[in-house]
Amino acid sequence: MTVPPPVELAMGRQGHYAGVVSRLAAFGLDILALWGIYTLGVAGLSFAVQLLTDRTLHVDDHQLVALTALVVWSFVYFAYQWTLGGRTIGMALLGIQVRSADGTPVGVRSAVIRTLTLPLSLVFFFIGCLGILIGRERRGWHDHFARTCVVYSWDARAARLRWLAKQDLKPRTVEEPAAG
Amino acid sequence: MSPNPIADRLESMAQAIAERVVHLVMDAIDLDAVLDGVDIDRIIQRVDIDALINRVDVDAIIDRVDVDKIIERVDVDKIIERVDVNSIVGRVDVDHIVGELDIDALMEQTELGSIIARSTTGVVSEVLDVIRAQGVGLDDFFARWTNRLLRRKESELPLGPPSLVGITSAAGPAPLSQGTVAS
Repeated sequence: MTVPPPVELAMGRQGHYAGVVSRLAAFGLDILALWGIYTLGVAGLSFAVQLLTDRTLHVDDHQLVALTALVVWSFVYFAYQWTLGGRTIGMALLGIQVRSADGTPVGVRSAVIRTLTLPLSLVFFFIGCLGILIGRERRGWHDHFARTCVVYSWDARAARLRWLAKQDLKPRTVEEPAAG
Repeated sequence: MSPNPIADRLESMAQAIAERVVHLVMDAIDLDAVLDGVDIDRIIQRVDIDALINRVDVDAIIDRVDVDKIIERVDVDKIIERVDVNSIVGRVDVDHIVGELDIDALMEQTELGSIIARSTTGVVSEVLDVIRAQGVGLDDFFARWTNRLLRRKESELPLGPPSLVGITSAAGPAPLSQGTVAS
């Protein structure tokens, strides 16, 4: 007997409003990616400074600069990726995508507004994200400000084909019991 | 010479009179009026068409037809030129045909599965598929309970932006131009 693939759950969901778990998981991955790339950048900069000036760069000594750099980097990280393809690294991994409220690809203006208003949704214990859980269109404050929404973009049908293909390659050890 | 010349003369006279009378009668009759008075439908109803057809030897007629000669006279190219192929293709419901396909059976019967597996299946994509599917499952779980708590029906909620889900009644949603991540 063969076990149905887990992707069957997601079949035909392309274009539907994405749910709170997928979106929060994607955001968590984005924070990890954003912080990881920032840390690598700081480490690279420290190494370069040490190599060129023979001095050690301590971020703690330049907290304001480091904070400003982090804010600017965060803005670039989200705004650039949303403008480019409507999704960040985390969203790509979770198979979701930002679209305009009417379903068209998101533009530069919407991407920038969404990035700038995202912190508003996160302050006060994510109260601005409550709409993602209880809203009819699963939109947070930043979605309303930027007139955007988040939809599933994951091609679950292709995933199912891959699963079927893999089953085809596997030796069939357990056979279906004969009727009667 | 006729044995009875009087009888011959009378006969030719009678013939001439008869012809003249017929002409006069024909001139006097209004044929259009007569035809107007004829109930053709009634006549046709009385005709046993099946009997007539039964008497026709269709095989004999077909045997006499030289089909090869007819086909030789047909300009196929000209007919094809007049056919609007785009119009025909446009009337074919491809989505419906695809929807009817049994993909599972197709994959089992062809080598396509092996080809796809060799070219695209990787550990990463498999892990991503599972994570995404789990995410969708949890999304549904929370959405279901939220709807239950808010006492609203799931069927009343919009599925997605109209331009993405409005045209997806039977064949699934329209593919997103930038959104096909899994590959």
